[in-house]
Amino acid sequence: METVLTHSDISVIQLAVTAVVLPFVAFLLNLFIVPRQSKLSGVLSGLAIGASLALSVFVFFEVWNQPALHVQQIWFTVGSTQIRLGIWLNNLSVLMLLLVSAIALPVHVYSIAYMKGDNHYTRYFAYLSLFCFAMLALVVVDNLLLLYAFWEMVGFASYLLIGFWFTREKAIQANKKAFLMNRIGDVALLTGIMLVYTHYDTFDIVTLFGDHSLATAAATATATKSVTIAGLCFLAGAVAKSAQFPLHTWLPDAMEGPTSVSALIHAATMVAAGIFLLGRVYPLFNTEVLTVIAIVGCFTAFMAATIALTQTDLKRILAYSTISQLGYMMMAMGIGAYSSALFHLATHAFFKCLLFLAAGVIIHEMQHLKRKHRLHIDAQNINNMGGLRKIMPVTFITCCVAALALIGFPLTAGCLSKDGILIQGFAWAEGKGWAYSIIPIGAVLTSLLTAFYIGRLMFKVFFGESGLEGISADSEPEAHEENPLLYLPMILLALGSLFPLFSLNPLKFESAWIVKGFADMVNKTESSGELVPFLISALSVCVVLIAYGVYVRQKLQWLKFKGVLFNMSYNQWYIDTFYNGIIVRAVVGLSRAASWFDTYVIDGIVKLIAGTGLVLSRISAWIDRYIIDGIIHSITYFVKQAGNFIRGFQTGRVQGYLFTMLIIVLALYILKTFI
Amino acid sequence: MNILSLLIFSPLLFGLLVLVLPDSLRNLFRYITLFATLLQLVLSVWLYIHFKTGPNFAGISNEGQYQYVEKVHWIGLNLGGMGKMQIDYFVGVDGVSILMLVMSSIVMVIAALSSWEINKNHKGYFALFLLLDMAVTGVFCSLDFFLFYIFYELMLLPLYFLIGIWGGVRREYAAIKFFLFTLFGSVFMLLVMLGLYFSVKDPATGYHTFNIIQMMNPANYDKDSIFSILSHQTLLGFPARTVGFIVLFIAFAIKVPVVPLHTWLPDAHVEAPTPVSIILAGVLLKIGGYGIIRICLGIFPEVATSGAFWLGLLGVISILYGALNALAQRDLKKLIAYSSVSHMGFVLLGIASQTAEGVSGAVMQMVSHGFLSTMLFYLVGVIYNRVHNRDIYSFRGLGTLLPRYTVFVMIAFFASLGLPGFSAFIAEAFSLLGAFNSHVFNGLLPTWMAVCGSVGILLSAGYFLWTLQRMFFGETHLKGGDIWKLALTDLGKREMIALVPLALLTLALGVMPSLAFDKINDSVLALIQFMHTK
Repeated sequence: METVLTHSDISVIQLAVTAVVLPFVAFLLNLFIVPRQSKLSGVLSGLAIGASLALSVFVFFEVWNQPALHVQQIWFTVGSTQIRLGIWLNNLSVLMLLLVSAIALPVHVYSIAYMKGDNHYTRYFAYLSLFCFAMLALVVVDNLLLLYAFWEMVGFASYLLIGFWFTREKAIQANKKAFLMNRIGDVALLTGIMLVYTHYDTFDIVTLFGDHSLATAAATATATKSVTIAGLCFLAGAVAKSAQFPLHTWLPDAMEGPTSVSALIHAATMVAAGIFLLGRVYPLFNTEVLTVIAIVGCFTAFMAATIALTQTDLKRILAYSTISQLGYMMMAMGIGAYSSALFHLATHAFFKCLLFLAAGVIIHEMQHLKRKHRLHIDAQNINNMGGLRKIMPVTFITCCVAALALIGFPLTAGCLSKDGILIQGFAWAEGKGWAYSIIPIGAVLTSLLTAFYIGRLMFKVFFGESGLEGISADSEPEAHEENPLLYLPMILLALGSLFPLFSLNPLKFESAWIVKGFADMVNKTESSGELVPFLISALSVCVVLIAYGVYVRQKLQWLKFKGVLFNMSYNQWYIDTFYNGIIVRAVVGLSRAASWFDTYVIDGIVKLIAGTGLVLSRISAWIDRYIIDGIIHSITYFVKQAGNFIRGFQTGRVQGYLFTMLIIVLALYILKTFI
Repeated sequence: MNILSLLIFSPLLFGLLVLVLPDSLRNLFRYITLFATLLQLVLSVWLYIHFKTGPNFAGISNEGQYQYVEKVHWIGLNLGGMGKMQIDYFVGVDGVSILMLVMSSIVMVIAALSSWEINKNHKGYFALFLLLDMAVTGVFCSLDFFLFYIFYELMLLPLYFLIGIWGGVRREYAAIKFFLFTLFGSVFMLLVMLGLYFSVKDPATGYHTFNIIQMMNPANYDKDSIFSILSHQTLLGFPARTVGFIVLFIAFAIKVPVVPLHTWLPDAHVEAPTPVSIILAGVLLKIGGYGIIRICLGIFPEVATSGAFWLGLLGVISILYGALNALAQRDLKKLIAYSSVSHMGFVLLGIASQTAEGVSGAVMQMVSHGFLSTMLFYLVGVIYNRVHNRDIYSFRGLGTLLPRYTVFVMIAFFASLGLPGFSAFIAEAFSLLGAFNSHVFNGLLPTWMAVCGSVGILLSAGYFLWTLQRMFFGETHLKGGDIWKLALTDLGKREMIALVPLALLTLALGVMPSLAFDKINDSVLALIQFMHTK
């Protein structure tokens, strides 16, 4: 490498590697050694991720705002090209390292209680550890090929976990869908990686996208077309992983997995990998691609928020909320608010994870009620909930914190990160023409919709009366949240959703340490809209109040009308219907056509040739039998008949012979005399 | 005796042993066969370990750089005025063939293990099996075209009987179809081989020769001979060398198989017994790819370069067409057969790119597909042996019933669909990378081919995951009801012994591709250089 690493740097790197590998060790142990259903597995995986967290914290403080560390060694050689593997610890990777392990630990603790009694308890933790390993490795590797490898591996772990209850039809449909839709993005990503390789002849991320990188130099150079295409390919990869339009429909279905998995993978970490990828290869994107990123993000944020308004499944609402928030981050990346995008990624991980964990507890409680009263209800339908704040106070309070953070209410972490995006959005659109300002306006609109749907969710679940007849909150003294393993993680995450973890100044996003850490990536713009966040906060509060009016006070009932817009939202913009009806059918139809073509045309030609051969051989057999053999037969027949005829002369009577002689002599005489 | 000759002919000795032993010892035959294949494996691993690498051991067009060479005069017929007919027993290996040898000997061990299911005419089966083993090993080692051709044809005979006698219901149809298809290719190959023979002279002796390596050197061609580069002779109105290339390519393309010459494959696979399917997919298809690299590219490099676009196109068509057909199949074995067509398309695409990445990827794909298709066919055999049914819709929720089996199916499926960490990912990624790079490197293939190839990766995920979902997940429901439930027992010890090494091998190659790449790099570079100096 260019610079010689000091001894302490090497030990930091070794610790980082250990942090990554520990969950993998837990995975192997759980897979091969720990007996089935053993309680040990949860503890093992939990300890591994706990140790990873501790190491990550250490590595974080060593590397954050320090020069990046980079080691690599030769992995293999193809032809004359050396492929190296190594790790690159810069601000982005150590932040992600810390974030992933910090979110994973509470989820592990929660899972120990949540998955208790499941038939495949050990397997669950094995999968979870595998995911953690892949995710942690994804954020530190320095090679695009390896990045792709771990990118697919997190997808694979997610496939395993979505289909964890593999006897459920819905779950296995969902995990197939998730993997395939991610595969579309993966293929695009692979294409992007290869385009980059053909262009720059290396997979090394540091050489490509580090300081003084090749890509930075190239972005300013003339070779723009292939760079744009490569950028769009990377974007497509991120779009699939981060569930952005048009590849977002796998995420709501992915909620068929255990709720703790949804919290970790499908809300906080894996889906954020797309944003991370954009951050990792950021220098590759030129203005055109960035604009596309912003448009995709903004549209997805808006669309998902409108869908979340009308869904009734608790986890589905949260899933669409996740899609919407990821859209925010995507948009932030597109408008050049690099630091705010990552900041929002971090804060969102905390509060969305918390919301999912809370949803898990709530659903457990509903299932408990369902069993107890022998009801036939959908335990995830929010219409069946209500009044839960009395029996689940901890859940209620932590959820409130998370919901406020999601809205971006002052004093929460979400406020800081969201404000950053909105302010920079307006600054970005300034002076670029009216069309560009659609993006920040869309973001504001989305933010109001967010306030409404999360308000609706909170009021329907925790306020009012239970949606189930004959059951009131007072008659249900026992609640499921007693287990500290369930509520301690939630409390921790709730604390993480407040401002002090990220910034000492609760009102100024620029003072957050994450934003400062990525300051050099930001195109400095003087923020003009200091008032924007306050206005939006005020409006959000109004929207929440409206939701309160509608769902608790049961006023403003006209808002519940069911028109075209309602149907559009309720049916998720008919996107999935379109995919199933048109695209899936087209592919299956195409494959049937190919199969038909294969059987009847290609094999048909083969059979035709074979048949022609047979017919030709029959014809020649016929010719052989009737013509060639016929000629021979007729010759023999002729000879035979001639013999028979002549045999008639051999009578043995002398008179006959003399008579014949006489006739011949006469005949000769006549012939001689007259002719 | 040279170790390579030992490797080739040791199965023949054991085959003779099987023939000589009385039929009352028929339970011993499978152990003899297993021992023979294991011995072969030990030998080939020894060869692999002692195989020297470096630019001085690249092989390809340089006779002195081949290793473990044995060259003996075999047939020397005095033809009077036409000189002396010179046919050598000439074997040796370079980077490309060493991997094929190791791969095929591993596949043979697995095939021997899966031959336990054979229940009629043991003597004939195992004797033919070992004869086949000898022939395929011989093909990978031969450096004399005549010898190559003999081994190449010798493979057909045992395979014909193995499918035709021990196969399924339509076995005779499948066997004849397979035989005629392959013969169609090789008959014309014979003509080209003779044409080459009369064009090339051994500079040392001055006689015509079948030496493949000397055929690679344009200086060895007679000036006015038919395949001479300088003479520009024509055959049927086309340039003779182009015709020669096409004829050889068709012969090997039938083996690969390349669409549209592939229709023997599904039939042969469906009817063949499991071990024969394993050999077919694991080894026989690779002979096609190997032949294209060694013979088509080696002897006609300039035609291969000018026709690279068409080779690449056929590769892409095979990838997509095979994948689409696989998606439409109901028969699990047929699905895997078509997936083979699709995966072997990457080999052709990689070769056509004529870049170091692409050719390395192609060789890697042959090795990887050798292991994975073996695993897949073995797994199909497991379930077919138990209930004699392979229809995807006859099974549901096997995951609950056969957990261990499902784990291996998942490993094989995910490895095949190119999950990183397994060999197929490296292989397919580098084949595609070569195709992408070709545009910049030598301008042979357009970028859209590589993009279409990537779509094949997507489709393969489609058919494998769909199968998993339909057969293995969900509530258990079997067409045969409780009788099947009793018959479907999870993997036994012997089956685990066969499957675990395969899973580990494909994993090892995926994590440490250097296991393969280290051996082939020099040869691939030499090949690329050879192709581009013409």
